[in-house]
Amino acid sequence: MGVTCVCQVPVAEGKSVQQTVDMLHKKLEQLGAVKQGNFWVDCETYHATGNATGQPSKLLYVMHNSETPLSSMALFEGGPGLTADANFDVLMVKLKSHFQNAKGHKVESRGTRYRYCDFLVKIGTIAMSSSARGISVEVEYCACVIPGDCWNLMKEFMQSFLGSSTPELPTVFTSKAEGLYAPVDCMDTMSQYLELFGKVRKQQVMQGTGVR
Amino acid sequence: MEAPPVTVMPVTGGAINMMEYLLQGSVLDQALESLLHRLRGLCDNMEPESFADHELVFLLKGQQGNPFMLRARRSLLHPTAPWHLRYLGQPEVGDKSRHALVRNCVDVAASHSLPEFLNEMGFRMDHEFVAKGQVFRKGAMKVVVSKLLRVLASGNTENTEPLSLSYLVELSVLAPAGQDTVSEDMRSFAEQLKPLLHLEKIDPKRLM
Repeated sequence: MGVTCVCQVPVAEGKSVQQTVDMLHKKLEQLGAVKQGNFWVDCETYHATGNATGQPSKLLYVMHNSETPLSSMALFEGGPGLTADANFDVLMVKLKSHFQNAKGHKVESRGTRYRYCDFLVKIGTIAMSSSARGISVEVEYCACVIPGDCWNLMKEFMQSFLGSSTPELPTVFTSKAEGLYAPVDCMDTMSQYLELFGKVRKQQVMQGTGVR
Repeated sequence: MEAPPVTVMPVTGGAINMMEYLLQGSVLDQALESLLHRLRGLCDNMEPESFADHELVFLLKGQQGNPFMLRARRSLLHPTAPWHLRYLGQPEVGDKSRHALVRNCVDVAASHSLPEFLNEMGFRMDHEFVAKGQVFRKGAMKVVVSKLLRVLASGNTENTEPLSLSYLVELSVLAPAGQDTVSEDMRSFAEQLKPLLHLEKIDPKRLM
């Protein structure tokens, strides 16, 4: 469990999502990265029912990560997060009269997992309602747990295959109370995916010409 | 750094339906030693495990129907261990001859942000208490002997007072739905504890 950075890579000019993903795979293989299985990350949205009229319904996100297959992570946007075991999903079914699952809002990212020395790179195709909406790249530096100590190294590594798409230090690390010197937990990774999925959902609304 | 297996079966509603079979009774403080002695003899040969837990009961009031109850429990002896969140359903109204109380049970292990997270979901803490005692096991059956203590100042588990002059004894089994031999085994075990302790099926609704 190391420091993770999740970012979105734009689809290359004139190419499809799959072609851009293949280009990234090729770059990684040229660098010397080794394919090591698959990964998926998904996010389900629940609406809190029973709110007073006029108040926007609170959104609860339940996420899963193949890296921790026995866990479920639950988060409120900008609010507290909870790491629980897989039975949390069964509990959400019991709570269905209080929290409704917005099935059309499920977002997931699936793809290949590459290993390059101490780095784990996951290139995923973000899909919503079985249509591809974008590309996610997750880079994990497994040898360190303090973002401040390894960010420069991670950035340099990302530049070697992402070029200009290399992101800045994720806000989830800068907004921590102790600054750059607090250890990470899996919530940081999931918050980044949540932010990314939120962006992708909004993009879809803009592009769709009035059709949901 | 090997990829974990990505073939974990998805959890779908109703796929895992565990039921808790329960019998309850109590003994006065004076009788505790004899009971522990009897249990040590009857149960599996291992050192009985002592526990000291702090349990918070949360309620979510919906628009209609009864409030949804969740029990969050943490160990005072192992402060870094995860919290244990438990949902218990309505007792199954089955045939009256069934010997134990049967209800749906969902157990979730959760991180330490649980109380804050439940508050964010809309749950409010209804009451809390501390339970101290010992756990015994016999096969799949679990016997918990606990002293319930009232928490005098919310959140402060150092300052407690006993709720009564007795110990609560619970005999329970967690099994998938439909296993009726379980309550038979429980009844025969309960017979062996008489007349020191009378374990019976207590309907929680009668106490409300």
